[in-house]
Amino acid sequence: MSGDGKPEIIQPPNHVKDKVSVTSNGIDLDTLEKAEKLIADMQDSYLEWVNEDLRKLQDFENQLDAKTAPRKQVFNDIFSVAHDVKGQGGSFDYPLMTLIGNYLCRYIEHLGDVEPSDKHVEVVKVHISALRLVIAQRMSGEGGKMGANLIRGLEAAAAKTAVPKV
Amino acid sequence: MSGYNLERLNFLVVDDNKHMRALVKTILHALGSKNVHEAADGADAFKELRHFPADIIICDWNMSPLDGLDFVRLVRTGKDSPNPFVPIVMLTGHTEMHRVIEARDAGVHEFLAKPISAKGLYSRLRSIIEKPRPFIRAGLYFGPDRRRRQIDWKGAERRKAMQEAKKAAAEQAQDAGGLSQAEVEALLGG
Repeated sequence: MSGDGKPEIIQPPNHVKDKVSVTSNGIDLDTLEKAEKLIADMQDSYLEWVNEDLRKLQDFENQLDAKTAPRKQVFNDIFSVAHDVKGQGGSFDYPLMTLIGNYLCRYIEHLGDVEPSDKHVEVVKVHISALRLVIAQRMSGEGGKMGANLIRGLEAAAAKTAVPKV
Repeated sequence: MSGYNLERLNFLVVDDNKHMRALVKTILHALGSKNVHEAADGADAFKELRHFPADIIICDWNMSPLDGLDFVRLVRTGKDSPNPFVPIVMLTGHTEMHRVIEARDAGVHEFLAKPISAKGLYSRLRSIIEKPRPFIRAGLYFGPDRRRRQIDWKGAERRKAMQEAKKAAAEQAQDAGGLSQAEVEALLGG
């Protein structure tokens, strides 16, 4: 803030502009298409990555079954992995993974401080199973009729056990 | 066809997920960047900045021990910050309105919702290249001017009313899920 209480405006040095030039081999539509194609070609890598995440989710499910850790803590761990799944799926033409990951995050988030019940655990497990199914069946894109049914089922399960808003 | 050449820019990619870092690096390399460094969290990134003069930082939100937001604040206002003015793109799955406002108020230049695409990331980089913003020091805020459009407004000052409306909308939006990238842009452009 300047001395008279008014906001101070500063023009910072523009290193970016100094280093970026327009050249004949610069970024054009063709470059962007090639970059998108490169991401699409990473789909095999993505399937490896997401399988790692699914294994982690399986471990958390096992912890819920074995009751080796407080449910709330396990739900937080599940949230963290689901958040990664949500953030990646759409980049590799698996928008259903992003959608279901988002549903799972929102479901856990909406529980807030409520101690998860058996029903909540079941709904979380259904979401994890759905994520597994999408990858096992290679349901890329919108996933067709099967994808639509899956989403409808998850929405119904989540609605049944939703924590009422105060 | 000619276009921007990013070859000389130094990028720092900060994400605790190595796969996301790999994805962002792949896109940057495909766009012609040569110098891309990585860090796994905000603390690592801050250390990296001491010897790597990043021109643009692309940073995730959810990281520990130092998350993306704390990292942005540290870069902007930390006494030993190597470059308080460096442009920062916040890359995150958190697209709820109150989160976008929080990131903007921490001092990010651009906000890109995950899942990302090459075109999406490039559009944010283009914005940094084409629309450099002055920095503002006002109260507790230090960062890029949060108003992107300069309007020669001669009417009544409605900013306060707008802030109150945004606050109310943010509270309402808490339960409504995320915003689309277009909505994020509209919000940041306000």
